[in-house]
Amino acid sequence: MIRLLRRYFYPSWIRSGRVVIGLLIVLAVLAAAILAPVLAPHDPAEQDLMLTFQPMRLGSPFPLGTDGLGRCVLSRLLHGASLALKVAFIAAIGAMLLGAALAYAAGYLGGWVDWTIGRAVDVWMSFPPVVLSLILMVGLGTGASNVILAIILVDWTRFCRVLRSEVLVVTRRDHVAAARLLGFTHWRTLLLEVVPATIPLLITLLALEMGIAVVVEAILSFVGLGVKPDQVAWGQMIADGREAIYQAPANLLAPVAAIFVTVAGFNLLGDGLRRTLDVRLVEGRG
Amino acid sequence: MSLLVARGLTLEAEVEGDIVPVFRGLNFALEPGRVLGLVGESGAGKSMVGRTIAQLLPPGFRVSHGTMEFDGADLVAMAPEHRRSLLGREIAFIPQEPLTALNPVLSIGAQLDEHHRRLGVRGRRTLREYALAALAAVHLPDPAGLLSRYPHQLSGGQCQRVLIAMAFAGHPRLVIADEATTALDVTTQAHIIALMRELQRASNTAVLFITHDLRLAAGVCDDVAVMYAGDIVEIGPAAQVLGASRHPYTRCLQLANPPMLGTRRALYALPEQMPGLRALARLNGCRFAPRCPVKADYCLRIDPPLEGDLHRSACLRPGLVETIEVADQLAPPPWRPAGETPVLALDHVSKTFTTGTWPRAVEVAAVRGVSLRIAPGEFVAVVGESGSGKSTLGRLVVGLEQPSAGRIALAGTDVTAGDEAARLHRVATVQMVFQDPQSALNPRRRVASIITQALEAEGAKFAVREKRVRALLAEMGMPLELGVRMPGQLSGGQRQRVNIARALCSVPRLLVADEIVSGLDVSVQAQLLLLLHRLRQDHDFALLFISHDLSVVRHLCDRVLVMHGGEIVEEGPTETVFGWPRHEYTRTLLAAVPR
Amino acid sequence: MILAVVRRLATVVPILLVVSLLLFTALRVLPIDPAAMSMPPTATKDEIEIARQQMGLDRPLPEQYAIWLAQVVTGDLGRSTHLRRPVAGLLAEALPATIELTALAMLIAGSLGLAGGLMLFALRGDAVEAIAETGTTLMMSIPEFLWALLFILVFGVLLEALPFTGRLGPGLARPMVTGFLLLDTLLVRDLAAFLSAAQHMILPAIALGIAFAPPIMRVLRSSLIDVYHEDYIRQARLRGLSETRVLLGHALRNAALPTLTLMGVQFGFLFGGSLLVEVIYSYPGMGNLMVDAVRNADLPIIQAVGLTYCVVVLLINSLVDGLYLVLNPRLRPR
Repeated sequence: MIRLLRRYFYPSWIRSGRVVIGLLIVLAVLAAAILAPVLAPHDPAEQDLMLTFQPMRLGSPFPLGTDGLGRCVLSRLLHGASLALKVAFIAAIGAMLLGAALAYAAGYLGGWVDWTIGRAVDVWMSFPPVVLSLILMVGLGTGASNVILAIILVDWTRFCRVLRSEVLVVTRRDHVAAARLLGFTHWRTLLLEVVPATIPLLITLLALEMGIAVVVEAILSFVGLGVKPDQVAWGQMIADGREAIYQAPANLLAPVAAIFVTVAGFNLLGDGLRRTLDVRLVEGRG
Repeated sequence: MSLLVARGLTLEAEVEGDIVPVFRGLNFALEPGRVLGLVGESGAGKSMVGRTIAQLLPPGFRVSHGTMEFDGADLVAMAPEHRRSLLGREIAFIPQEPLTALNPVLSIGAQLDEHHRRLGVRGRRTLREYALAALAAVHLPDPAGLLSRYPHQLSGGQCQRVLIAMAFAGHPRLVIADEATTALDVTTQAHIIALMRELQRASNTAVLFITHDLRLAAGVCDDVAVMYAGDIVEIGPAAQVLGASRHPYTRCLQLANPPMLGTRRALYALPEQMPGLRALARLNGCRFAPRCPVKADYCLRIDPPLEGDLHRSACLRPGLVETIEVADQLAPPPWRPAGETPVLALDHVSKTFTTGTWPRAVEVAAVRGVSLRIAPGEFVAVVGESGSGKSTLGRLVVGLEQPSAGRIALAGTDVTAGDEAARLHRVATVQMVFQDPQSALNPRRRVASIITQALEAEGAKFAVREKRVRALLAEMGMPLELGVRMPGQLSGGQRQRVNIARALCSVPRLLVADEIVSGLDVSVQAQLLLLLHRLRQDHDFALLFISHDLSVVRHLCDRVLVMHGGEIVEEGPTETVFGWPRHEYTRTLLAAVPR
Repeated sequence: MILAVVRRLATVVPILLVVSLLLFTALRVLPIDPAAMSMPPTATKDEIEIARQQMGLDRPLPEQYAIWLAQVVTGDLGRSTHLRRPVAGLLAEALPATIELTALAMLIAGSLGLAGGLMLFALRGDAVEAIAETGTTLMMSIPEFLWALLFILVFGVLLEALPFTGRLGPGLARPMVTGFLLLDTLLVRDLAAFLSAAQHMILPAIALGIAFAPPIMRVLRSSLIDVYHEDYIRQARLRGLSETRVLLGHALRNAALPTLTLMGVQFGFLFGGSLLVEVIYSYPGMGNLMVDAVRNADLPIIQAVGLTYCVVVLLINSLVDGLYLVLNPRLRPR
C-alpha cells in the first residue's frame, strides 16, 4: 500500500533533476507572468523621455534600467513573460491536438489516409518554419491570437511526423491485433491499446514545443509581425535593444536572457521527461 | 596438453550494489581437436563462458578468482593487447544471429578483406584470391558474385557460412560456436553443422559448442558439460552424459524434451524456472535443489563437488536419478463423433502480397491454393520452415489478412468477405495466441485486465470479470496474486500462459497458435504442453498449431500439414506422416531433425 | 544513385506544384490590392483599374494561377511593387549570398556536431556525461537569433573585434562573377575584399552553425550508442579488431545514417534560420529581401522568395536522400 502511494505521489520522473529544475524554472516564469501587474514597478507602456537609457541599478526605481523611450525594462520583461507563456501554452497544445489527431489517423488507419497526411507533411516540411510563419502572418495580420494560430498551423507537423511513426510501431504490435480479435471496436482499440503507449512521447514533445513556441513568438515580434505594437513582447524589446546596441547593451541582454531561461526551462523539462519516460526521440529544431 | 582449461574460474556480478557469485569455481578442459558441448537452458551461464574467454563481459561482471588458460596462458590476466592478438587468429567466434553479425553497410568482400588484412594478407589481387577461396571452402555458390553483395541480400544460412569462413580463415586452434544454428531453419541447421564438422576435422580445431539443444549436442559433441545456474552439474563423454545421466537436471531436461522416436510419452515438467542473476546470491548448496524432484534437506546446504573419473557429476544423491520417470503413454484425446461440421474449412485459399513500389512491384504468393478441414476438438499442426506461408495461413484464418482467392468458413459460416458480420462471427468462434508475448501483451495493462479483455469488449460487469479472472488463473496454474502484476513483471512462461488465457477467456471453438512454445526453455515448454493437454481434456476447442518444431508437433497434435512454398505438400495423421513420409520435402525435413 | 535522385526529384515536382498553389491562394485572399500597391499613391482609380487589367487581376483565380505559374516556369517572377524592379534580378543577387552563408553554417554545424557527438560518446558512462548533456540541452535553448545577438554584443560591441553589418567593409568594390562573394573576391584576386567578406561572414555563419550543432551531436551520440549494441560490433571485437578500427571502420558509418537523415531535416530549419540572422546582421540575402517584402506587403517578392526557399529545401533533401542511398546498401533492391 505504501509502495502504491509512493508510486502515485512520488513517480519516477520527479526524481530526475532535469525535470525538477525545468519545472521550477517554468513555474517561476509562470509566477512572474501571472503576478506581472503586481510585481512590475511601472506601467510597461509608461514613457518618460527625460529618463531614457537609465543604467541597470538595484534599488533604483528602474532596477533593470530604461529603454530609449524611458520605459521600465523590468516591467516590460514581466509583462512580456505573460504574453510569451500564453502563446507557448495555447499554441503548443493546439499544435499537439492537430498534429496528434492526424498522426493517429495516419498511423492507425494507414492506406490512403496515411498517404495523404504524409504528403501534406511533406509539403509543409518543404517550407522552413520561419518562412512559413512569416507568410502566414502576412495573411493573418498581427495580433497575439494570430501568432498562436500561425504557430499551430506551422508546428503541427512536428507532432505529426514523430508521432505517426510511433503510432505505426505500436499499431503493428500483436496486442493491438489481439484486441481487435477479441471484439474491440476501432475506437476502443485506438484509445486503450495504441494511445496510452504514445502518451510519454506526446508529453515530451509538448514540453519541447512550448520552448519552440516562445522562440517563434519572439522571432515574429522581432520582425514586427507578431503582436500588435501596443502589446509588450520580448521580441519587440530585442528589436528595440538591437537599435540601441551602443547606448544600452544591457537592454538587449535582458530579453535575450529571459528567452533563454524560459526556453531552457521547457527544454530541461522535455529532456528530463524523455529520459525518465524512456522515449526514443530524435528531434531537430528550428 | 589441454588447449583450453578453466581452473576454479569464479565470475562475480554486481547487481544493485550486491556482489553475486555467478560461477563458483568452474573447472573444465578442452583438448585440441575435440568438440566440447556446453548445454543448458537460458540463464545457465553458457554464453558467459565464451564471453570470459574473450573478456568481453557485460558491465559489472568480473573474474575474481581462477584462470581460463589458452595454450598455457591465462586469458583473464593477460594484457588486453595480447588477448586481442589471439582473437580472430587463434581463437575464433561463430555468432548466434548470422543476419545481424555482419556489418550491414559493408559488402561481403570488404568484410572478408578486412579480416584477411588483419591476418597478414596483402595486395588487392591476393586478397581477392583469399576471399574467393574462403567462400569456396564453405561451399557457397558463385563466390565471385557474392563478394560485391551485402548481408541483407543473403539468407541466414549464407550469412552464417560467410561468418564460418571468416572464423576458419586464420586456421584457429579454438572455435567458440555460441548457439550458432539456433536462428536457422532445421534443414539449414543440418547443413551448417555438417560444414562446421568438416572444417573442424580438416584443421583439427577444438570447438566449444554452446547450445540449449540436448539432441543437437548429442549428435555434434565429443564431450558434453551440462550447466545449471552457473554451475557445471555434469560433464563427460557425450554418449555417457546424455545416455546415462547421473544428474537429476540432465535427466529432467531429457524427459522434458518430446521424443522424435518411439512412443509419444508424457513430458516431465520441472516446476518454475532457472533462477535469475539476483537469486543466485541466496542459493547455497546445490543450486538445482529447490527444483529437484529427488532432493534432500542437506542438498540445500552442501555444495556438491563434481565427482567421478571420466564422467563426472555434481549430485549428492546420484542413485536416485533413475527414479525420475514419466508415463510412457499419453492420455488419448477426448472421443468425438464423426461427421460434425468442421470448425474450420479452407477451400483453395491463396494470398499474394505486393512488395516494392511501382514499376518494380512484385507479387509474392505467400499461400497458394490451400484447402483444409479441422473437426471440432481436433489438434492440427502446420509445420514448415520460415517463409513457407504457415504464419500467413494462421493470420488468414483469424482475419488479420484477407484472402486473395478461395473461401474460408468457420463453424459452417462463410467469413471470406471479412466484413463486420464476419468479424463478429470470428470474435465468437476463433481466437489467436501470438508468438511473442512481449508484443502480444499490452505492457500497460494488468494481468487480470488482459485475460478478461474479451469480457471488456462485451461490456461485462466488474464482478463477472473478477470471477472469470479467478477461474482462468486457476486453470492456467497461476497464483491469484499474479492478477495485479504487469506483464513486465512476469517470467517468459507466465507471459505465455497469460497469452493463452486471454485467448481462452471467451471459450473459442478454434484456437490458432503461432509458434507459442518456440523461444522458451525446454522445461517451460514442457509445462505449456502439459497445460494444453489438460485444457483439451477440460474444454471443447480445436487447435491450429503453427510450428517449426517437429518434436513438439509430434507430441501435441493428431494431424499434421506440411507446408512448403505456400502449399500443403503432405498431410495426414502425425504418426503416419512422421513414420512414413511420402513427399520428398517432408523426408528432408525429418532427416534434418537431430534425434 | 543518380536514378534514385531523379526519382526523388520526380516526387519533388508535385510537391512544388502544391506549394505554389498554396502560396498563390494564400496570398490572393489577402485584403491587399497588388495593382494599387504597384502604382504611385497619386494614381487615380482608373489608372489603377488599367494596371489591374494589365496585371491580369480581373480574370478568374484559376486562370491567374495558370498565368503566374507559366511565368514562373519561364523565369519571369514579376515586378516588385515597392522596389519597382524585376523580382528575378533581386533574387539573383540575394540567393547566392544566402547559399554562401548557409553552406558555411552547415559546414560549421556539421563539424561541431561530429566533434561534439564523438566527445559525448566518449564520455558515456562517465560522471562528466550528465554535465555535458545538460550543456547540450542549454545550448539547444539558444536559438540562432539569440546567438546572433550575443555575438554582436560580445565580438562586435564589447570587443570590437569583428564587423556585424553587411557583407563588405566600406570602400571596397564588390566584384560580380558568380554572385558568391568569397569566391568572386578570390577570382578577381582582391585579397582585401576577400578578407573583409570573410570577416563579415564569420559571426553570422558561426551563430547559425552553432545553433544547429547540438541536435547533430545528440543524434550522433545516441546512434553510436545504439550501434555499439549491435551484434556486428561485438563480432568485430571478437575478430580482434582494435577499438579505433571498430569505431572508424564499422560503427561510424552505421551511425552516420540517422545523423544524415537528421541533417537533411536540419537543413530546412537552418535555411529558415538564416532569415533571422540575415536581418540581424543586415546581410543582403533572401531573408532580408523577404522581411522587407513582408513589411511592405510586396506580394510578388513574397511569392517568389517563398517558392525559392521550398525549391532549395527540396533539392537539398533529394540530395541527402541520394547520399543516404549511397551509404545504406539496405535500401537498394535485392
